[in-house]
Amino acid sequence: MKAVPLRKLVLGIGGLAAFILLWKLVTDAKLVSPVFFPGPERTYVALVKGLSGGPLLSQTFETVKRMLLGWLLASFVGILFGALVGVSKRARAFIAPTLELLRPLPASAMIPVAIAFLGFSDNMVLVVIAFGALWPMLLATVHGFAAMEPRLYEVSEVLGLNRAQVIWKLALPSAMPMILASLRLGLTISLILAVVGEMLASREGLGQSILAASRSFRSADLFAGIVILGAIGLFGSRLLSVAERHLLRWQASSR
Amino acid sequence: MVVTQLSTRPRHGGGHSAPRSGEPRIRIRDVTLAYGPLQIIGGISLDIASGETISVIGPSGCGKTTLLRMLAGLARPTSGGVELDGSVLGGPNRSVAIVFQDYGKALLPWRTAAGNVSLALEARGCPAKERPAIVRDLLEKIGLGQHAAKYPREMSGGMQQRLQIARCLAQEPKVLLMDEPFGALDAMTRQALQDEVLGLVATTGATMVFVTHDLEEAIYLGDRIVCLQPNPGRVGRIVDVSLARPRDQLLTREDPEFLRLRRELYDLIKDDHQ
Repeated sequence: MKAVPLRKLVLGIGGLAAFILLWKLVTDAKLVSPVFFPGPERTYVALVKGLSGGPLLSQTFETVKRMLLGWLLASFVGILFGALVGVSKRARAFIAPTLELLRPLPASAMIPVAIAFLGFSDNMVLVVIAFGALWPMLLATVHGFAAMEPRLYEVSEVLGLNRAQVIWKLALPSAMPMILASLRLGLTISLILAVVGEMLASREGLGQSILAASRSFRSADLFAGIVILGAIGLFGSRLLSVAERHLLRWQASSR
Repeated sequence: MVVTQLSTRPRHGGGHSAPRSGEPRIRIRDVTLAYGPLQIIGGISLDIASGETISVIGPSGCGKTTLLRMLAGLARPTSGGVELDGSVLGGPNRSVAIVFQDYGKALLPWRTAAGNVSLALEARGCPAKERPAIVRDLLEKIGLGQHAAKYPREMSGGMQQRLQIARCLAQEPKVLLMDEPFGALDAMTRQALQDEVLGLVATTGATMVFVTHDLEEAIYLGDRIVCLQPNPGRVGRIVDVSLARPRDQLLTREDPEFLRLRRELYDLIKDDHQ
């Protein structure tokens, strides 16, 4: 049983190594000018320099903080509002068409609106992140609540559970698989919007840092920033899937 | 050995029958149920005495499950009413527990066996400190003592149905309703559960209404058997079962009276199917 995850890990690392090798081959062959496309070695050097004493560490911290704050805000509003809507058939019928209208709006389209209201501020970026990450969580919660096994409602009636107990003990756990999947999606969206927001509003962080590096032809710094962003995404998603496995250990198949 | 006191009672051809003594536990008073123009139940009356076990049989579409749902307060009669201990049943009531056939849907997959039983205790505000002991006791009683930490998906169908029964017992019900609870189980598991349910009903003194389409199960469990007829659902016959208790899977089923009842019910049901 234990050999299988190990083999998976080895394969994953092998794939990553192959990717870096390919990257090196392409840059060594100078298919693209080194001014725009640094090799893995130069990127690594820039990464180490930036993280030890350079500005990369604090920029990473800023971006992660922004991403997490926006994500938490979106999760809180999304799950709470989703639960309120999802628990009542009438509320669903009332609000669902409006949600469907707002949902496909690209979060980037909201950026000018947010700028008009909040200016080029940290709060503006936060609002954009929260707005973009809100939808998957909101809709997953609404749908998760609506999809609860009808038999369980009958069980709750016969046992005499009150409304709060039905929400907390039946609807929320039964919606949990959908909510957790949406939390993962929301985290990715939060990272994307954190970077875009920093670029547009010139707030400190990796987004601003890679934009500045690109404009001054510091391609190694640019790629160091991109590598860190990739690592943040990977790490966040891994962390959430560990949480997911723990919370959904009752499910038939673990992913 | 308790010989059922019902054996001396005359058989009733109609819908209404007298309780054993005093106020009946359940009084079904001329209930009808219609969805628009579609009449599902067309006037059923029945008194069920405290501690009595009633089996309900009938061809599919005769309203067996609907009748049970009305007793559980999950379906509202269009006219007439159900009384529990003399007061009208307005909706679901903790004193009336129901075991559904589809145990897979009725259990909480994210809770362990212990957690599923605990839900009933949480619902009636039992203090958290007292719950584990009660849960352990109930699981022990139903033969799941070793499986308290298992999730439903890790349990066989028979174990899951035991679990649902344990959760119902945690309600401390006066009335236990069962909707074809063993229909999806294999024959051996089914017989084991029949005996356990009979044992539980005997020790708790609960009144039981057991819906089944299995004639032998109906005879084996019941003090009386209510045969429903379809279109719309109504009582066709009520048959008294004068078999000794406690009942035994081999001896009871070989009893000439058992065989006679089986033939009688078979003829009744067969007629309805034609």
